[in-house]
Amino acid sequence: MVARSFEEQGLTTTGLVLIEEHAQRVKPPRMLAVPFYFGNTLGEADNPELQHKVLQSAFDLLSSDQGPVLERYPEEKIPDVMIQGSEADKTPNDDGINSPDISPADELTGLRAYYEQWSNSRNGRTAVGLTGIPQRRFRGIVRFIENYINGEDPDMKERSADIAIPQFVRYCVDDLKAFYYEARMAQRPDGSDADIHTWFWSDTAMGKLVMSLAEYMRNNPDPSVNTVAYGIAR
Amino acid sequence: MPKLEHLSEIVRKQMLMWPCVEYDDTPWTPMAKPLSESRVGLVTTAGLHVRGDKPFIPNQPGGDTSYRKIPRSTPARDIVQSHASIGFDHTGMYRDINVTFPIDRLDELQVQGKIGSLADHYYSYMGALRDVTGIIENTGPEVAQNLKDDGVEVVLLTPT
Repeated sequence: MVARSFEEQGLTTTGLVLIEEHAQRVKPPRMLAVPFYFGNTLGEADNPELQHKVLQSAFDLLSSDQGPVLERYPEEKIPDVMIQGSEADKTPNDDGINSPDISPADELTGLRAYYEQWSNSRNGRTAVGLTGIPQRRFRGIVRFIENYINGEDPDMKERSADIAIPQFVRYCVDDLKAFYYEARMAQRPDGSDADIHTWFWSDTAMGKLVMSLAEYMRNNPDPSVNTVAYGIAR
Repeated sequence: MPKLEHLSEIVRKQMLMWPCVEYDDTPWTPMAKPLSESRVGLVTTAGLHVRGDKPFIPNQPGGDTSYRKIPRSTPARDIVQSHASIGFDHTGMYRDINVTFPIDRLDELQVQGKIGSLADHYYSYMGALRDVTGIIENTGPEVAQNLKDDGVEVVLLTPT
């Protein structure tokens, strides 16, 4: 739709589409259907060569005389399907790094050095930041979530008044996930994305906490709350 | 996206039943000059914004049709993602913003002379919209005008 809107205003557009069937119905002017999963639109992270190939194929569509143009990028590297919380292998995996009895807050503190190592190696880049709470205060987020699950009525001073508490809970979880995933990437630089998903959901206290949170919110009669649950863990 | 028949039945049905607006025609603005002489903009529906900017709001009826302005000078470390969907893997974005928002790749193409110039501002919407009325009537034309005011002639669009 964005492509159609822009083209109607006199801009020339080209782009990538993940669901070819949708482009067939909407008929944007020029689209390259790519075989990659959501979140990996240009094929693979840290693979500039592949990303440039995909971009070149999208820009090649600009030479067409008339539309709609919908072409397929040849299938190449496709990432593993993302493992959800309910699908992870829950068999304890003692890799000597994560204690099975540790609290989420202590576990998070134990990962901090790895998280900072990751961020420092990327010129400070991190996906953490939706809550606006500095990562060194994330133990406070853990307490907030635990109190929320316990049926208390917690809040955090960083929450903007126009952000409802369930939405803020979602941002908290997104920040915690980003912290954990980035720490794990520093811990296990050769690990696959599937390995990270499995580790988070099956081996960490934080993964268990997030699953408990999702279950608590799913059981809430307020539809605005259980909708958020769907976006936290499945 | 891999072929729908390779996905689980639940996901396949969800994708096929998505409320897309269907059209019989296609708007068309032909290229006025080669890409190597054109000014290129980048717009994504990946739900990105500058760190500290207002996140996209999940759970608005029909989805959030607002947009965020991202100055091209913004370093990757100051761009975050607040896309509401859990149905995609964020790991790629954690590793490399270019997997969805190819800011470095476009810079390289400009240096190589394959792109004439790049817009001063990029933009992001949030996808997974069930109601695109806001895009059609408001934020689509608004961002288009912003891009034109910036001298943009060609726009690269990327999904999540």
